[in-house]
Amino acid sequence: MFNWMRNRRIIVLMIVVVLFVAVMGFSISDRKKLTWPENFILDASGVVQHWFYKPAGYIAGFFEDIANLRHLYQENEELRKTAAAYARDKNKYNFIEQENQRLQAALGFTERQKNMYDYRYLIAQVIAVDNSPINQTIRINLGSKDGITTDMVVVSIDGLVGIVSKVDPFYSNVMPITQLDEKSSVSKSIAATVKGKELLSFGMVDNYDQETGMLSMSRIAETDPLAEGDTIITSGLGEVFPKGMVIGTVKSRQVGDYGLTHTALIDPAADFEHLTEVFVVEVPNAKESAQ
Amino acid sequence: MSLTRIVLIMLLFFYAEGTIFYWLVPDIWTNRLVPHFALAFVLFAALYRGRHTSLFLGFAFGFLQDIVFYDKILGAHAFAGALVGYLTGLLMERRRSTMLMALTMISLSTFVYDNVVFFIYQVFRLNHLDYDWALVSFMLPSVFLQLGFSLLIYVPARRWFENIGVKKSEEKEE
Repeated sequence: MFNWMRNRRIIVLMIVVVLFVAVMGFSISDRKKLTWPENFILDASGVVQHWFYKPAGYIAGFFEDIANLRHLYQENEELRKTAAAYARDKNKYNFIEQENQRLQAALGFTERQKNMYDYRYLIAQVIAVDNSPINQTIRINLGSKDGITTDMVVVSIDGLVGIVSKVDPFYSNVMPITQLDEKSSVSKSIAATVKGKELLSFGMVDNYDQETGMLSMSRIAETDPLAEGDTIITSGLGEVFPKGMVIGTVKSRQVGDYGLTHTALIDPAADFEHLTEVFVVEVPNAKESAQ
Repeated sequence: MSLTRIVLIMLLFFYAEGTIFYWLVPDIWTNRLVPHFALAFVLFAALYRGRHTSLFLGFAFGFLQDIVFYDKILGAHAFAGALVGYLTGLLMERRRSTMLMALTMISLSTFVYDNVVFFIYQVFRLNHLDYDWALVSFMLPSVFLQLGFSLLIYVPARRWFENIGVKKSEEKEE
């Protein structure tokens, strides 16, 4: 009797382990749609987390504001300078945009091509954060009902924050770019280029080093003009991610692992701690190109 | 105190982990102090209630954590939570643990929990953190956080779990 009990326990244990491995293996695959129990739990949790996160953020933000009062004068000065520069550039931009539209019409661009870079920025509130380095996740309050799909890019005012990884009807999970991992079986990489040298420069941002807090950009050609201090932006090649989102600044550049290409270390522009509002970038025809 | 009420309190703490607690921690420490508040209750259940309760609670709250912060894999926290809850219960449920013993077991079990999750992610090649770095940078600080938290809730949590099923009239007689 005792022996049989023991055996049964081992069998149950083995079945449980096998079940767990099966669930884990299944859940790793690139799932675009979640099942209804998952959606239900995600949405219900989202509501509660939203109640908690917002007041906590406001209170913490209030104390931060008091601490920042002193820097306000300086900031104002800088903003005024930027506004003046912006007004100057705006004239130039309007002229170029009109010129561009005229040329597009003359060359017979299709409607899809014309709207290719017409990104929509949807504002989203952060509702919860899992800050464990093993599985960092940010939850935001926009979901598939708001037109969010996986692989949309999330940015803050400073720069690229992450990529939408899982979507439920009212909320979605964002994988911050601090989770990029070149060796991982599920990680993504982002095509990037240098601001101001968009046509000459190319590389893939595909890894984040948790120890140093630096992103790395690989597959840079030897002849690439990329240099220290350059601003790295997304290139938009591949048409899944939008172009022109700031990723960070180049800290150093060295020869890569195999000696054929170069890699660069990039200091990320966005601050990943204590985010309150982020923007989800909707690319007009990402849906069609993804399929 | 009924089990339902304890579960509600655990839910409250679980949701506070990623929201209120996250805002209480200064910027530099957010990636180092990883809260496991729900797990502390699971381990209290193992110490003062029984291994089956803690197995069930560990699985449920682990799975909740997995789904709510679903990014790459489901089931890692559920597996670790159930395992740690059950093992702690198996070791300790027969004895009436003293406070020191309980806190030691909770810290140790939290550490084991972190390790199990870490190695599941490694086995499935989901991340490639250096173990030594992970140990120093967030596992050990999280254990100390857990120690502090379980010290805070020790008295009420122990009373709740020991009094499950005891009716109010009986409590008064004591």
